[in-house]
Amino acid sequence: MGLVHQHFELVGRLRVWQNIMLGREPRKGWHVDANAARVRVAELARRNGLPIDPDAYVDELAIGIQQRVELLRELEREPSVLLLDEPTAALAPAEIDAFFGTIVQLAARGTAVLVVTHKLQEVINYSKRVTVMRHGKIVAHFETAKTSVDEIARAMVGGNLPDVAARAATAPSPCFVADGLFAGESETAIAGISFAVRSGEIVGIAGVEGNGQTTLADAVAGMIPYRGTIHIAGDVGIIPQDRNKEALVMNWSIVDNALLGRQHTSRVRHGLLLDRSVARADAQVIVDRLDVRCATLDVAVKTLSGGNQQKLVVGRSLFGEPRFVLAYNPTRGIDVGAAALVQSRLIEARNGGAAVLLISFELDEILAVADRILVMYRGAIVGEFERANVDRATIGRLMAGSQ
Amino acid sequence: MNAYRRLFSGPLGAIAIAVALAALAMIVAGVSPIAGFSALFGGALGGTSDIAETLVQTTALLFPALGITLAFRGGLFNIGAEGQLLIGGLAAGAVGAHLHAPTAVAAVVLLGLGAIAGGVWGGLAGWMKAYFNANEIISTLMLNFVAAALASYLVVGPLRSPQATGAETAPLPHSAWLPLIVPDTRLSISILIAIALAFLLRFVLTRTIFGYELRAVGEAPEAARRNGVQMRRMTWLTLALSGAISGLGGATIVTGVMHTFNTELSPGYGFTAIAVALVGDLDPLWVCVAAFGFGILESGGLAMQAVAQVPKDAIHVIEGCIILILAARRYVATRTESAPV
Repeated sequence: MGLVHQHFELVGRLRVWQNIMLGREPRKGWHVDANAARVRVAELARRNGLPIDPDAYVDELAIGIQQRVELLRELEREPSVLLLDEPTAALAPAEIDAFFGTIVQLAARGTAVLVVTHKLQEVINYSKRVTVMRHGKIVAHFETAKTSVDEIARAMVGGNLPDVAARAATAPSPCFVADGLFAGESETAIAGISFAVRSGEIVGIAGVEGNGQTTLADAVAGMIPYRGTIHIAGDVGIIPQDRNKEALVMNWSIVDNALLGRQHTSRVRHGLLLDRSVARADAQVIVDRLDVRCATLDVAVKTLSGGNQQKLVVGRSLFGEPRFVLAYNPTRGIDVGAAALVQSRLIEARNGGAAVLLISFELDEILAVADRILVMYRGAIVGEFERANVDRATIGRLMAGSQ
Repeated sequence: MNAYRRLFSGPLGAIAIAVALAALAMIVAGVSPIAGFSALFGGALGGTSDIAETLVQTTALLFPALGITLAFRGGLFNIGAEGQLLIGGLAAGAVGAHLHAPTAVAAVVLLGLGAIAGGVWGGLAGWMKAYFNANEIISTLMLNFVAAALASYLVVGPLRSPQATGAETAPLPHSAWLPLIVPDTRLSISILIAIALAFLLRFVLTRTIFGYELRAVGEAPEAARRNGVQMRRMTWLTLALSGAISGLGGATIVTGVMHTFNTELSPGYGFTAIAVALVGDLDPLWVCVAAFGFGILESGGLAMQAVAQVPKDAIHVIEGCIILILAARRYVATRTESAPV
């Protein structure tokens, strides 16, 4: 049996062949037979259609290629059952297709493949059968050919998906204005970006990962230096991309985390002191509003599921009804139910008059939520669409860099 | 993990292993560990004056341990407490020798000067970290040597008292001495200051905005940075306050115990204090308990040597083992936690 973990288990400072052959190195006397190992890895890569340089150092490879190494290592053992845990979490769309191409071939040659994923499109596109889990229990089985995304999603959230709220008219006044924005370096730099977000609208920025979105988000959040101007009228709520590193203190309680970022507001701050009873009451409000499932408010957030952690982050960012909200991949890596809740809270914030900037790698999310869509490619805005006249195919082409 | 197991896998376990190793070392050296340890505890806790001396050692360790606690909680590895202690003592000694004022005034002035001097010394490393990204482990360690060299230059040169036989500053006038708690011992009110400081530090860490942000930086610097914490200010302020607490400790040794300043001020309190802070699990009140435990080792060690012929170095074996075990445990803990779940 082979297992490819969501988080890679590779030795970054070793070469590709060393990682793949780790523990099963061909020997020549007392030594590892490096040449034999290289040949075997090259042969393995060729047989499975996963080209790789056996001598590259793993920590110098792109994430998608690292995944390939991980997969090759498992394939080298010729497993009869292959387990893949969220294999595409770190992959770009083009890489996902290639990846599953290999997997499907593998299955055709007689390997049983079990994929754990929260991306329904992958399930529909590549699987033969689907099993749905909820709260640690198996709740449904489907033949993929006889089911639909909707049916699977319903089984996942239990009941029907929450309705996306009706859209309010947008106010004409711009709340957020970026003008001639330059920031970052080399491939992920942004160059001369200008756009505005009005109060009461959600502007979605669509694009393939690695086209400058992180640089843009960091510049807007004031985390990196930039040239050009950013003007924001009113207070700001930020939902960062990486909740583990950028938003939460994993060892802290829900109460302490619910406070982070608001510690200087007059609501909780009395001179030098912190009002802990207000902090606790606010945490309760956030937990109730976002349906964060937890035993008590004092449990460490590292014990919560990713979805509940993210709900806490979103609730905190929207607490106090900020005039401008920046959401960067707010539903990444969380289950459908939590994602739907997060999206509906963003829509509520918009309906309450907030200007929302949504940067997401999931085009579906942007199409579902945004009132206006900007397409980002290589650090520039290459297209703009009103919700009324979106054309999925055109957006897809722009995202890929063709006109 | 339940609390019981946590306690034993942590400080208590480390102490138990260290004591066992020390006992083993005594057996190898041909001494009965029972005799050794009873001499140790007898010497440290046998009578009023023994207990007072143990508390003197406790106090000397407690100040730098609290300073280290503050820095470590803020994610900054200040291992320069030794130098900060020395500089604080130096400031108090240099000014105190010429300060003729009522005791209360003298105490406030000299302890304040010690804190400021230690704060500058710690803040220097903080400033280098905040603005030039200089690793604080290196800079605080190096500043220990600068402090030691500066202190020995000054007591041999400009600050040397003509009347003194050794290289030391002129003695403090009696009015500048900290009042004693127990007559005919060396135990001054400085221990009360230290304990009050521990409570204050705990309050600061748990109840104030500054403490909240400091802990955030210590636990998750990127999350802190993105959530309104001014990182540069936090860095230098944390190290300055950490140094100030150690500097205050140095000043209490000068005004409460030595009544002069020379380079014998600390036999390594600033380093032992790192172990004290870790054994106390970086919680100011538990650090007080840990300081008392190490105070027993420091003051009982001599008695152990005299009575049971166990070299005082056995104490350092115990201390070294505790540091090693706790450091290893922390390392293992971070490695395990950062592993994918």
